[in-house]
Amino acid sequence: MAAPKVVPKDAQVMTQILKDMGIAEYEPRVINQMLEFTYRYVTTIIEDAKIYSTHAKKSNVDADDVRLAIQCRMDQSFTSPPPRDFLLEVARQKNQTPLPLIKPYTGPRLPPDRYCLTAPNYRLKSLQKKVSSSAGRITVPRLSVGAMSSRPSTPTLGKGTPVSQSVTLTTKVGTPVSLSGQRFTVQIPSSQSSTVKSAMPSTPTVQNVLINPSLIGSKNILITTNMVSSQSSANESNALKRKHEDEDDYDTL
Amino acid sequence: MAAVQDGPIEPEPENEIKTEASNEFPGNPGDASGGVPPTAPVAAVATEKPAAAATDSTERQTLLAVLQFLKKSKLFESEEILRREAGLLNETGDSQGAAPGGAGLGGGGGAEPESGDASSVLSRVAGAVAVAQSANATPAPAKVAPVVTGGEDQPDVNVVLAAYSQQGDPVLYPVYYSGLKRFIDSVLDCHRAELSQVFYPLFVHMYLELVYNQYEKEAKAFFDKFHGDQECYYKDDLRILSGLTKSEHMKGNETLLDFRTSKFVLRISRDSYQLLKRHLQERQNNQIWNIIQEHLYIDIFDGMPRSKGQIDSMSGSLAGEAKREANKAKVFYGLLKEPEIEVPLDDEDEEAENEEGKPKKKKPKKDSTGSKSKKQDPNAPQQSRIPLPELKDSDKLDKIMNMKEATKRVRLGPESLPSICFYTFLNAYQGLTAVDFTDDSSLVAGGFADSTVRVWSVTPKKLRGVKTAGDLSLIDKDSDDVLERIMDEKTASESKNLYGHSGPVYGISFSPDRNYLLSCSEDATVRLWSLQTFTCLVGYKGHNYPVWDTQFSPYGYYFISGGHDRVARLWATDHYQPLRMFSGHLADVTCTRFHPNSNYVATGSADRTIRLWDVLNGNCVRIFTGHKGPIHCLAFSPNGKFLASGATDGRVLLWDIGHGLMIGELKGHTDTVYALKFSRDGEILASGSMDNTVRLWDTVKAFDDIETDDFTAATGHITLPENSQELLLGSYMTKSTPVIHLHFTRRNLLLGAGAYNP
Repeated sequence: MAAPKVVPKDAQVMTQILKDMGIAEYEPRVINQMLEFTYRYVTTIIEDAKIYSTHAKKSNVDADDVRLAIQCRMDQSFTSPPPRDFLLEVARQKNQTPLPLIKPYTGPRLPPDRYCLTAPNYRLKSLQKKVSSSAGRITVPRLSVGAMSSRPSTPTLGKGTPVSQSVTLTTKVGTPVSLSGQRFTVQIPSSQSSTVKSAMPSTPTVQNVLINPSLIGSKNILITTNMVSSQSSANESNALKRKHEDEDDYDTL
Repeated sequence: MAAVQDGPIEPEPENEIKTEASNEFPGNPGDASGGVPPTAPVAAVATEKPAAAATDSTERQTLLAVLQFLKKSKLFESEEILRREAGLLNETGDSQGAAPGGAGLGGGGGAEPESGDASSVLSRVAGAVAVAQSANATPAPAKVAPVVTGGEDQPDVNVVLAAYSQQGDPVLYPVYYSGLKRFIDSVLDCHRAELSQVFYPLFVHMYLELVYNQYEKEAKAFFDKFHGDQECYYKDDLRILSGLTKSEHMKGNETLLDFRTSKFVLRISRDSYQLLKRHLQERQNNQIWNIIQEHLYIDIFDGMPRSKGQIDSMSGSLAGEAKREANKAKVFYGLLKEPEIEVPLDDEDEEAENEEGKPKKKKPKKDSTGSKSKKQDPNAPQQSRIPLPELKDSDKLDKIMNMKEATKRVRLGPESLPSICFYTFLNAYQGLTAVDFTDDSSLVAGGFADSTVRVWSVTPKKLRGVKTAGDLSLIDKDSDDVLERIMDEKTASESKNLYGHSGPVYGISFSPDRNYLLSCSEDATVRLWSLQTFTCLVGYKGHNYPVWDTQFSPYGYYFISGGHDRVARLWATDHYQPLRMFSGHLADVTCTRFHPNSNYVATGSADRTIRLWDVLNGNCVRIFTGHKGPIHCLAFSPNGKFLASGATDGRVLLWDIGHGLMIGELKGHTDTVYALKFSRDGEILASGSMDNTVRLWDTVKAFDDIETDDFTAATGHITLPENSQELLLGSYMTKSTPVIHLHFTRRNLLLGAGAYNP
């Protein structure tokens, strides 16, 4: 147990390489990194060589396969910058065009929009609910965000609607969302409502809540907090919810 | 084109012996040589003294190469016809330039095949095979086989002529080299220093040739024997070479490939050059002469040979020194005229821009930074030489602030040194890779190895982003302080993080109007961030390799970037592709800086040169050599005339841009110099280094000492005064914090930045 630490031969080789190249100070983990790189590189090359040799229907992997594997890897991973004459030629061509004049008073000078990163990187999908079922249910496009895992709940006392969802709208501070004309529903976990669930009438109540106008401009949104109180409505709403769950969770591009 | 014979008697017996040898030589593929010798022996081996052949040697070489090719392809009749027409009667193939050379390999005394141009060419055509054969073959009495071609031959003659190819027996390279060494040791002292410049390029080229032709063992032996003789400042290069033993290694190394194809420039006085030339054109040294002709460019000047000190100060770069013509172009180093702006006495916002400088209002203070005379400075570029963005109102306000601050500026000098305020980045875990301050010193940004960029506010005022669109629509647009109202108070903070890069951030630059921040990274992009919304606006793609440095132009709108692909690019913020590409460096571009008049760009590189480029047409107008390590920082003096540079060798060099000369050398740092900054009026140069110190240098004195007489300007010789000690005004240590950035505030307070590194 108390044997002196024996450095494996590979690590000794790495140490020697570092010494030969004149590197005197290095962290000890550098050796491990070098070993890892070597292992990864060699196995990649050998695997590639195996593939090439089977492709050429040879029984053994021979030097030519390895050479080809190295060549392909070099062109793929270990590329080097273009040669000097090529660069000189490209530079010569590029430098011939005169510098473009600057138009005055154009605001922030940025490239055309498709080359900038200023576009919104999400898209809101509007979904038309089936105009069916009970009256009083407001059919509004829903913005479903996150998994809504609600199960049909029996109207029992004391049990809350096990809806655990995060109501985080995708809009962030700073990116104005153009949602003009849309009204959408947000499901809010209504844990406190569960206690009064049983006492409530079976029809779902709708509440209008004005949420943060900064998120959507000056339009009003309707937030319906569906009190899942009755079985039927629960089923229906669950069915609907489940449907949304499938479709609206991810923006289909 | 008839072969000029010197000493006609001598070669003849040689020829006879040769033809016999060729006839008995067993390894000839085909009858190539069999058919030819009859015609050969008459004329001598091409022994025209290279002196005569200097000018038409290339034509001769081409002809001979063609002949050889014909012979190789067994087109004997065509070969005969061509030979007769060209008047070449000699079978020059016999004198295989290889071994026989100087080694005094006995064999018929004096039968040294004068390896003139012809033989060297043919040896090229023959390639290594011939030599291999000679090595394997019967130990011919030092008479090499006729050029038997086969094996690795070069298909294209032009390629042959241009390519690096076998020039001689690899075993004899050390002999040639030692011969040269002995010669140089024997010359007069005054010439020795200059001629010693030849050693390094010769050594490297010979070594690379051996490697390229796959003589690994010989290459190693050659290297081991002679690498210790080289100058100490080439140590890093030699270490890289030592790891390069196979020709496959060379393929990936662009820098070495460039080195092989470009000419190493040496500046030698005419007398020394004559000496060298005379010696090398004697018989046995023609190999070296060939290499010199092919790979070295000798810039001859008339005058006194330079001393070792002078040479040492200018040499060290990967491509030798700079040719004198390279530094002769006119450079407009003056500053652009500032537009005259009225500074109102009572601090009102209204001002009038008055180009003529004639005050029209009642006693306003005239701004003194505008040029007093209406005459154009002859050294300044035209105002419209390159298009520059117009001055917006906010810019004018900035300028006024600047001028007000300038009046309160501390005058620095040897008696009045600046105070230094050092910003230490804690808990950066060696990840701080770039720092920049805004011009008015209100913001500082740091780029980190974990690919984040962080902006801090130096003043108590917090950082605020613009409100979101919803909030913005609620504010009163007509109020006076609308610009404050659009800022979001709720998310105000001391620092903001900017995420977007996917690799360590190596360069940061604020725009002069404080609206934008640029950052460049190992992920090969340069990103433009808005400092009003603290989000990324654009990613400029162009370099496909890590970008090491970037900087905004002093007027905004343009910026430059330099990276691993050895080019520096000029961009404009509203073009997604670069406007100019500055290519010419042999190794990575590590530092890029704009000149104060925005018409020129200086780039420092890992090939140890600094180049000055013209923005208008992309030409390289100056090449400065002298550093012995990769250059990491550059600074232009505020008056635009001088450039200071710092490198891994710990020295700071001062350059006169107008004349293209080195005018000062500041020694003192013991480790890489990473930060350089001139004070606001240019009286003091501050340098910060990895050795945890900030040093202040007196530039007024340094620039006073220049003597630029005609001789200096013409030949580029400089004698640097050894006055680093006198110029050093102060040296300040930090607590184990390498200094990576320096900045003078508008009032000449020096700010420094670095990451604590215990």
